[in-house]
Amino acid sequence: MLVKGGRIADDIFTPVADGEPLSDGPIIISLRRFQAEKTALLSREVPLAVRLETAETPEILGEDVHKLAAIVLHIHHFKDGRAFSWARLLRTRLGYRGEVRISGHFLLDQIAFYTRVGADAFDIAQNLPVDSVKVALTEISNVYQPSVDGRSTIRDLRTARFAKAAVTPP
Amino acid sequence: MYRYDEFDSQLVRERAEQFRGQVARRLSGELTEDEFKPLRLMNGLYLQLHSYMLRIAIPYGTLSARQLRKLGDISRHYDRGYGHFTTRQNLQLHWAQLPRVPDALLELADVEMHCMQTSGNNVRNISADPFAGAAADEIEDPRILCEILRQWSTLHPEFSFLPRKFKICVIGTEEDRAALLIHDIAIKIVRNGAGEIGYRVYVGGGLGRTPYLAEEIGSFIEKRDILSFLEAIMRVYNEAGRRDNIWKARVKILVHQIGIEEMRRRVEAEFADIKKGATLELPAEELARIAAYFAPPAFAALPAESPEYEAQLREHRDFAQWAKTNVHAHKMPGYAIATISLKSIGKTPGDCSSEQMEALADIMDEFGQAEIRITHEQNMVLPHMRKADLYALWRKLVPLDLATPNHGLVTDIIACPGLDYCDLANARSIPVAQAIATRFCDLDRQHDLGELKIKISGCINACGHHHVGHIGILGVDRKGVENYQILLGGSGAEDASLGEILGPGFDQEGIVDAVENVIGTYTNLRQNGERFLDTYRRLGPQPFKERLYAR
Amino acid sequence: MPHPLQVLTANRLQPGEVVYWNGSTGWVPRLADAQVFSGVEAEAALKAAAEWVRKGEVVAPYLFDVGMHQETIVPVKVREAIRAAGPSVRRDLGKQARNVSL
Repeated sequence: MLVKGGRIADDIFTPVADGEPLSDGPIIISLRRFQAEKTALLSREVPLAVRLETAETPEILGEDVHKLAAIVLHIHHFKDGRAFSWARLLRTRLGYRGEVRISGHFLLDQIAFYTRVGADAFDIAQNLPVDSVKVALTEISNVYQPSVDGRSTIRDLRTARFAKAAVTPP
Repeated sequence: MYRYDEFDSQLVRERAEQFRGQVARRLSGELTEDEFKPLRLMNGLYLQLHSYMLRIAIPYGTLSARQLRKLGDISRHYDRGYGHFTTRQNLQLHWAQLPRVPDALLELADVEMHCMQTSGNNVRNISADPFAGAAADEIEDPRILCEILRQWSTLHPEFSFLPRKFKICVIGTEEDRAALLIHDIAIKIVRNGAGEIGYRVYVGGGLGRTPYLAEEIGSFIEKRDILSFLEAIMRVYNEAGRRDNIWKARVKILVHQIGIEEMRRRVEAEFADIKKGATLELPAEELARIAAYFAPPAFAALPAESPEYEAQLREHRDFAQWAKTNVHAHKMPGYAIATISLKSIGKTPGDCSSEQMEALADIMDEFGQAEIRITHEQNMVLPHMRKADLYALWRKLVPLDLATPNHGLVTDIIACPGLDYCDLANARSIPVAQAIATRFCDLDRQHDLGELKIKISGCINACGHHHVGHIGILGVDRKGVENYQILLGGSGAEDASLGEILGPGFDQEGIVDAVENVIGTYTNLRQNGERFLDTYRRLGPQPFKERLYAR
Repeated sequence: MPHPLQVLTANRLQPGEVVYWNGSTGWVPRLADAQVFSGVEAEAALKAAAEWVRKGEVVAPYLFDVGMHQETIVPVKVREAIRAAGPSVRRDLGKQARNVSL
């Protein structure tokens, strides 16, 4: 089940394993296959997505990243937090504007963090109610630190509300 | 001290409710133990040998009377009437029950406390000098930066699933009372040539299986850049730290694998990148706003000496004994810093009963003490006592068993909970600490020995900081039987050093005699009033080995 | 070479307390009431414990070695002796498994 923007979305992509023939429509392929068959793949006129494993930094894609409709960050174990940095890297230094999708082994309780660092789509297990995604995204109302999502931080909210107020010592 | 506004309060409450939801999903079976474990660890809840253990965060080791009283209450109603203060300035409750923890978290939220990030692979409680705000040579109160870092690191979206735990410490003086260099990031507040205040940043300290002292990575980071600089370090670590082996996953391993020069190069590249965006710049107004919370209390204009205090020292020998070790100079005339020892001879180091906590809260109110501090040596500190009030304070501490006059002496032992409580331990540490303290309980003997820091860990995780003890003791499992290795020459002060293993270990029978022999070697060979540590550094391990392992 | 004698243990999910497996009476708090297994039986008991984990009754089941002194079950490792009896330094707090000596 693909969740995008807090709602169930249609997944236009079909994953294709290394060595399998490419299907006609939009596909997701591994980084290795992308590097090996890049010219052919990029000459197709349908959206293309590349799947990165947790150890693979998006920097490997370089400028090619802008030719991809989606980057799938595949998490092999939820304890491995590198993809949080990869998502952030995609959105900031690489300036990537396409879909950043999280798939694989991750927890509902990590979705809020992934969203903050720039992920906008989640491949979620079928038996999870979509309401729980909404809860996961809104449980903690405010955030202390700035991130890719550009949300106002608690400091911003304080400044807005308490402009120039001095704190009286006890 | 810092006071929550509605945003801080809302966040800890929502976090507590989030945990309540996670517990419910665990109890209903929606979450397996494997899925739930990292979630409960992010709220400081461990499954230990006998029970769950809940670790409560005490940011930079500072508590108000109201908070201390609530801890007494919580330890009584949610636990078994006591708590254990740790080497990271936190409080552990050893008998928590899973379904009751969400309620305990809400009660903690009522007094602006929480358990967030006291475990798990995230940024842990940020520790500081327990004499903050009171020490004469302090450049700036380190807790200002600690509070800023606490907020920046709380529920950080990018750094909540690091390769391993991450510990930060800040001090503002030359004297190191917080074991600065054994932290993943260590920050020392310094002045540059122009007299401006900034931060010297070190990276890569840590104990455990491969202990290292942190190395300098930024000699003078300007205040407005500190969050950008730290975020750069964290990002380099999150991306490149090892994830294949938990014993090789701390940032210290990365620093030693690639070298400090390469680490600096990567951090500076990331730092430059972050600064372009300017989102993490720390404005002067924000620094000033947080600093105002740590403004010193309204000190009275007192003479440097207090005639009553001097008279009481002359009249009451026991009080004078206590003052000799447990009272320290304060920056303000007529004031003093008082250490409350949690190392009563024969009791568990660092343990404090609910009654003691509540009585201390009353004492704080009585003497107008807005704050009490927890030290990494598992003692407590009242930072702003009037000298004239010290005798009355001591009189109240005595019946509470909180007046042991042993700060810094051989019976002021640091010990982790060890195999009596901890699932990770290989050997018991508390009975060894108790036996050593009992053997050396004679106060004249303790004073003769002078400053002598013994630190005991029940396993290689080194929560007892044995690598930085003058005498360190490491408990190991030798074919199912407890065995104890001795290390000598470590220090967690500004003369930081890592202890060296002396030789083969001793069983529980032999370890106390071995320690006594080590100390006896010192007393035979010391010169010119040297401390134990100085004698060891002058002579090396040889004389100690000969004494312990001679045929 | 004979198989070691073993006991199956776990922690109850909710209170976290230590329990031992006895095929007739289920999860019991006292080591003295535990069933002692050997070899294949022990492995089977551990495997069956997975069902109790799945049901959310217990967590982290495992086997540990014991010896028999007359009729008394005695853990081989001190860690299990402490787990059975409670913290050696606070006898007032832990479980009092009377027939385990430290």
